[in-house]
Amino acid sequence: MKKNHLLFLILSIFISISHKAQTVQLQFNNFFGKEDFVFKKEYTTAFGEKLSFVTLNYFISNIKLIKKNGSEYISPQDSSYFLVKQADPSSKKIVLKNIPKGKYKSISFTIGVDSVRNTMPVEKRTGCLDVGAAARGMYWVWNSGYIFFKLEGKTVNEVDSLRKNFQYHIGGYGGYDTKTINNIKTKTLDIPVTKITKKKNPVININVDIAKFFDNITPVKIAEHRSVMWGDFSVKIADNYVNIFNIGEVVYQHE
Amino acid sequence: MNRLLQKNKMILMIAVMLIAAIISSFSVNRFAPKPMQILIPSNFPKPTYNLQSNPVTEEGFALGRKLFYDGILSRDGTISCGSCHQQASAFIHGGHDLSHGVDDQLGRRNALPIFNALFKKTFFWDGGVPSLDFVPVNPIENPVEMDEKLDHVIKKLNASAAYKILFKKAFDVDEITSKELLHALAQFMGAMISSNSKYDKYVRKEGIELNTDELAGLNLFKQKCSECHATDLFTDGSYRNNGITNDFNSDKGREEITLNPSDRGKFKVPSLRNVEYTSPYMHDGGFETLEEVLEHYNSGIKESITLDPLLKQNKSPGIPLTKNEQQQIIAFLKTLTDTAFLHDQRFSEQH
Repeated sequence: MKKNHLLFLILSIFISISHKAQTVQLQFNNFFGKEDFVFKKEYTTAFGEKLSFVTLNYFISNIKLIKKNGSEYISPQDSSYFLVKQADPSSKKIVLKNIPKGKYKSISFTIGVDSVRNTMPVEKRTGCLDVGAAARGMYWVWNSGYIFFKLEGKTVNEVDSLRKNFQYHIGGYGGYDTKTINNIKTKTLDIPVTKITKKKNPVININVDIAKFFDNITPVKIAEHRSVMWGDFSVKIADNYVNIFNIGEVVYQHE
Repeated sequence: MNRLLQKNKMILMIAVMLIAAIISSFSVNRFAPKPMQILIPSNFPKPTYNLQSNPVTEEGFALGRKLFYDGILSRDGTISCGSCHQQASAFIHGGHDLSHGVDDQLGRRNALPIFNALFKKTFFWDGGVPSLDFVPVNPIENPVEMDEKLDHVIKKLNASAAYKILFKKAFDVDEITSKELLHALAQFMGAMISSNSKYDKYVRKEGIELNTDELAGLNLFKQKCSECHATDLFTDGSYRNNGITNDFNSDKGREEITLNPSDRGKFKVPSLRNVEYTSPYMHDGGFETLEEVLEHYNSGIKESITLDPLLKQNKSPGIPLTKNEQQQIIAFLKTLTDTAFLHDQRFSEQH
């Protein structure tokens, strides 16, 4: 019996050590202006269009953490793909493990999926990249490639109260053998200098303002662009949404 | 007494665990699918598909074949790959310019043959899919073809006891995912190599000669057709506007993938292997006979900005061909028929 106790003790120490490796959590929070982003709730864009949403998904990949001294931590490529879905709260929380301790000043990530991964064979498309599971609806089958950012909903036309669908499916990795649209966006955000140690595991909030998806470099008026998928206007939209990701509060989780 | 009983129990438990471990290691060892040799014809270029990452096995091939001929890939169970890719028509949809999907919906383009897929750079008329692995997802999810969702196909397969056994045998998995499904289909399609036509035996010097007309046709072909229908795959894999139409409103071809207006109305140069059996011809299935096709190049070219430069070398667009020359080229084209392939029972639906 005593032996069992000892084994249990060793095991629990081992587990607690492995738990204590430095982690960083990225918490994505979707907003519409100052309001929380909620499906089916009615919002108004800067251009006076009343609307509600049913889908908001985006890929976040190739995450890098940059230290104060300029050195970078790059999360392992095979496990650096995340699909953030408004419909799935757990998907908004990205946990990076085994981060080297130190002081970090910025974070960088791709909004979308890099071109190499877009052309990899099926055995390299696991987890959120599995087109037969998690990536359902986030992949163009006729023009092979991931949809990086997907926003769908309805506008409310006050005159005849007709509800009309809109959809923005933005992708494009630059083309396989012929150059074409590349909507892969890399976003680098400064964070308040963040100390990562075994005892200090920060949660970095990243706030995403969907109101700015419409009201940005190129105004997106739904009446004019109700359905944007594979086409030139998708470039304008990607140029818009790269600006809607902002750093929120950095808080520490204490053991 | 109690203690002894406990001890015995312990021994029994250890014995059970040991036996279980032996059985499980035995069954792991038992996963040994039979490798299936894929012979690359000596007159073919190198495969583009990486067979090392998806080695073809007897079990994987047979599973791929079963899936290929199973309506389970479609929304309502009515359409299989084999519905529109029929062996007797060299794996195209015989007699259909455009194919019917579920609910009798009509597609936009003529089904392409699928043999020699291992050697293709890209797939479909517009080249929208660069990897054989992902070819089946296109028809599965196309609303006018199988109108299904890949994740739902995976669910249906996992609910099938018969398929679970077959996937276990081929890939040693308890849970089927898109990887195994697409690998099985790629194995079956990849193994479909058509390389034993009369022409192949002639060119590989296997004791077969072409007759006078066929030889004359081959020479004409080399002069007038082989720049696009290049190599022994009879395509250079490029996209070209061959003057079928100058109205691209309903189908912009390659431009729909590249978004480049200079690609308007361009379509993949198709292979000509088994062309005797792949009627109707062209991306829109507009020609019934090879005679119509040859006459199109002689006199039917419609001009447009993106018309291929090779069709603009003469006073009037096209490739001047006398009736006799056309017949000789057709005689040659018929030497590309691979009868053994078209009747190879390994590629047929098994009953």
